[in-house]
Amino acid sequence: MTKQEFKEELRKRLSGLPKRELEERLSFYSDMIDDRIEEGLSEDDAIKDLGGTDKVAAEIIRDIPLSKIAAERIKPKNKLGALEITLIALGSPLWITLAAAALVIVISIYAVIWSVLASLWAVFASLAACGPAGLIAGLIFIFSGNALSGVFTLGAGILCAGLAILFFFLCILATKGIIWLSREIMVGIKNLFIKKENA
Amino acid sequence: MDIQLKRGLLDVCVLAAIKKEDSYGYKIIKDMSPYIKMSESTLYTILKRLEIAGLLTVRATLHEGRVRKYYHITRAGLGRIQDFKEEWREVMSIYKFVTREDSGK
Repeated sequence: MTKQEFKEELRKRLSGLPKRELEERLSFYSDMIDDRIEEGLSEDDAIKDLGGTDKVAAEIIRDIPLSKIAAERIKPKNKLGALEITLIALGSPLWITLAAAALVIVISIYAVIWSVLASLWAVFASLAACGPAGLIAGLIFIFSGNALSGVFTLGAGILCAGLAILFFFLCILATKGIIWLSREIMVGIKNLFIKKENA
Repeated sequence: MDIQLKRGLLDVCVLAAIKKEDSYGYKIIKDMSPYIKMSESTLYTILKRLEIAGLLTVRATLHEGRVRKYYHITRAGLGRIQDFKEEWREVMSIYKFVTREDSGK
């Protein structure tokens, strides 16, 4: 692959990004390729060294904020005529509601995901609290002469403590997974904006 | 690592890479690579941020028949490195205290 092909491919894939931003980034990559060539790499190897188009395109999408991508999508390609402005104004009760609904859906997806996480941690916290509580209550029972209840409560406390330890690792795993998931969703949303442009 | 903390650290890394002399993208990445691996895209984002913040300036120079962008640290950029050093003296002393018990008596 030549440098020119590399840039063309990225332009095609990232056509939904703001033009100026994209060209600046491409010229940065172009310099990077030239500097590698100067060091003795072939054009093809220099591009491979950068990670190829797939990796570079993904990196660029990750690094450009969603607000910029969305603004570029919304920006009209040509100057708006009087008719279009009137239509947009007349349609505003409709599209503003639709846009607001879309936003609310995205926010609620996030809220659902994070509340699952919050409840997992809450279960962990209550198990962790039951451990020592069971121990103390059990000892109080035993010393006040109620040995049977005491031993039972003591056992329950130890069980809770054990479960809490297990749950702790489960929660950590879930937290990591969900952070990863949120990031993927964000990339997905950005891709949605860019893909539409290509279609 | 905390994202905010990492971002600040990477900023200082890039500033340190152009502290002695003006440098260009590929050289910055190569100079940092024994210590920290950074992708081109990340470097671009950081350079842009530092430029907007006034911590470095960009100048295009003709090199081997093409234009190459050189990055030059400003006085404010040098100040950021100085701040970093002072802050981290404190952090290192906290680190010493925290790990003191790990190493035994």
